[in-house]
Amino acid sequence: MRKASYIKKTTGGTVFDVFNALFMILLTATMIYPFLNIFAISLNEGTDAVRGGIYLWPRKLSFANYAYVFSNESLLRGAAVSVLRVAVGVATGVFGNALLGYIVSNRAFYGRKFMRVLFLITMYFSGGLIPTYLLMIRLGMMNSFQVYWVPNIFSAFYMLLTSSYIQNLPESLFEAARMDGCSELRLLVSIVLPLCVPMLACIAVYIGVDQWNSWFDVSLYSKNGQWDNLQIILYRLLNQATALQKMMEKQRVAAAMKTLQPLTVRAATTIVVTLPIIFIYPFFQKYFVSGITIGSVKG
Amino acid sequence: MRHSALSGTTVTRPDGAGGLLRSLRTQRELWLLCIPIIIWVAVFAYYPMYGILMAFVDYIPGKEIFQCDFMGLKYFQQFLTNPSIALLLRNTLAMSSLSLTVGFVAPIAFALMLNELGGRKTKKLIQTVSYLPHFISWVVAGSMVYLVLSSDGILNNLLIQFGATDTAIPFLTKGEYYWTTYTIVNIWKSMGWSSIIYLSAMSGVDEELYQAGAIDGLGRWGMVKHITLPSIAPTIMLLWILGIGNILNAGFDYHLIIGNDATRTYWDVIDTYAYRYGVQQGFYSMGTAVSLMKSLIGFLLVWATNTISKKLTDTSIF
Repeated sequence: MRKASYIKKTTGGTVFDVFNALFMILLTATMIYPFLNIFAISLNEGTDAVRGGIYLWPRKLSFANYAYVFSNESLLRGAAVSVLRVAVGVATGVFGNALLGYIVSNRAFYGRKFMRVLFLITMYFSGGLIPTYLLMIRLGMMNSFQVYWVPNIFSAFYMLLTSSYIQNLPESLFEAARMDGCSELRLLVSIVLPLCVPMLACIAVYIGVDQWNSWFDVSLYSKNGQWDNLQIILYRLLNQATALQKMMEKQRVAAAMKTLQPLTVRAATTIVVTLPIIFIYPFFQKYFVSGITIGSVKG
Repeated sequence: MRHSALSGTTVTRPDGAGGLLRSLRTQRELWLLCIPIIIWVAVFAYYPMYGILMAFVDYIPGKEIFQCDFMGLKYFQQFLTNPSIALLLRNTLAMSSLSLTVGFVAPIAFALMLNELGGRKTKKLIQTVSYLPHFISWVVAGSMVYLVLSSDGILNNLLIQFGATDTAIPFLTKGEYYWTTYTIVNIWKSMGWSSIIYLSAMSGVDEELYQAGAIDGLGRWGMVKHITLPSIAPTIMLLWILGIGNILNAGFDYHLIIGNDATRTYWDVIDTYAYRYGVQQGFYSMGTAVSLMKSLIGFLLVWATNTISKKLTDTSIF
């Protein structure tokens, strides 16, 4: 941006430019290196990898780790729960917040201010962990899938995003539709939502990443393990030395998998958990700025 | 009655109590849509707020809060006179003040340096890569921390290979290293993402300002000092005020994933303590009292910083 001609070239400036570029390259490398390293380890044979010294390339190439990850029952079930969480969470969250944003952006609606304030208060005050935990138990949401999405349908933050977007749509659009006797819900679904696709996609990414990455609520509410997702399985692989053994006892392991080690299985699981994120987030970059600005000014 | 400038027609917006009745009739559909939303927010947001009151009673699950024995401030007192509070406060303040200083400056420095970099595409690429750690879960980040920092991890391998140390350094099992690793991992994870807001403030600076600066004889460093930095100063102040409110938030997920028994005396913070006692061991009232106290102090600190900032720099968040 400021490589413009009016800036005088000096030796000091050039030296700085070189160092700055070098530093930035180094910094970017440290950002990305753990991902490359873990990828290399996931593609290496287990017993060989434990010896250490794998930096960028696998030493003894092997797909046994991935073969194991994709054949293990609890990991597959965890992946299914993770995907289901994202699908249901995104669908209900996007629709819920679009509906809420639509209601509080309707200037003619008498209850607009009431609804807005009702949600804005929740941005500043919350019950905190323990009262929320006890509420979930009381509602019978322990060991159920509902606990992942029902408490996350609406959010004050996304309400601000959707309502400020909908407010900027031309008002004549709404009036014409209402004049024709279009119902509010129908107006939302067939006229407003199609016009909000970029903003809704952004919210979908936010919610989807959150749902995919959640692990703490799983550790709280999935007590019998029925609704464990990938993250919590990876958490156990990290924190319990016996977790992999327990998982392997449950199934007969093929000969090629005899060399499996916690280190390499962990690496392969980490890659499987991370890949979807790596592929999705770069495409929504241009929306991040507006999201962050609203969040920091009003929250 | 209000006149809508956009369409040129009048928009009815009834006022007063009569307005409510009329609105319930004419805007019935919207109100019907509101009902489930109101029920949801009452149950999932306001009911837990009411639940905070359990900090003042001897709460027994299954009973209503007002049916339980009133305890007053007993749990608050109990926590404040608890011998472990000194350790909890030390760990909390040590890690949060590291985040508020080193962790606060890092994204600003990163944004300034990135802004000086030539080439739009390079800049964009570096920015994209720097967001990546923000989007991965703490569990995945923990998996990488183990890989890099454990006694047979990459860092120790390299250190031994280059002769910097003879035996592996116990980064993850010795308490003395905990705060440093926590700070570095946090910077690694959040620096790129936190820099977005500064970069967007910088991109809003009028190009003519820099041209005028050049005419007045400003060099590169002078431009940063007199034009770029002042342009992001309000943003820095705003985030600083919000950061002060987080002084008792010193991480949670990270400690549950990376912390172990050997390092507990260095990672046990107020939040992990409240979780351990409040949720895992079932001392609900005690845990709630601890959390409530923490939030109140955070709120007071934000308010105080905001008042001072309003007086000194004219920047405030409310």
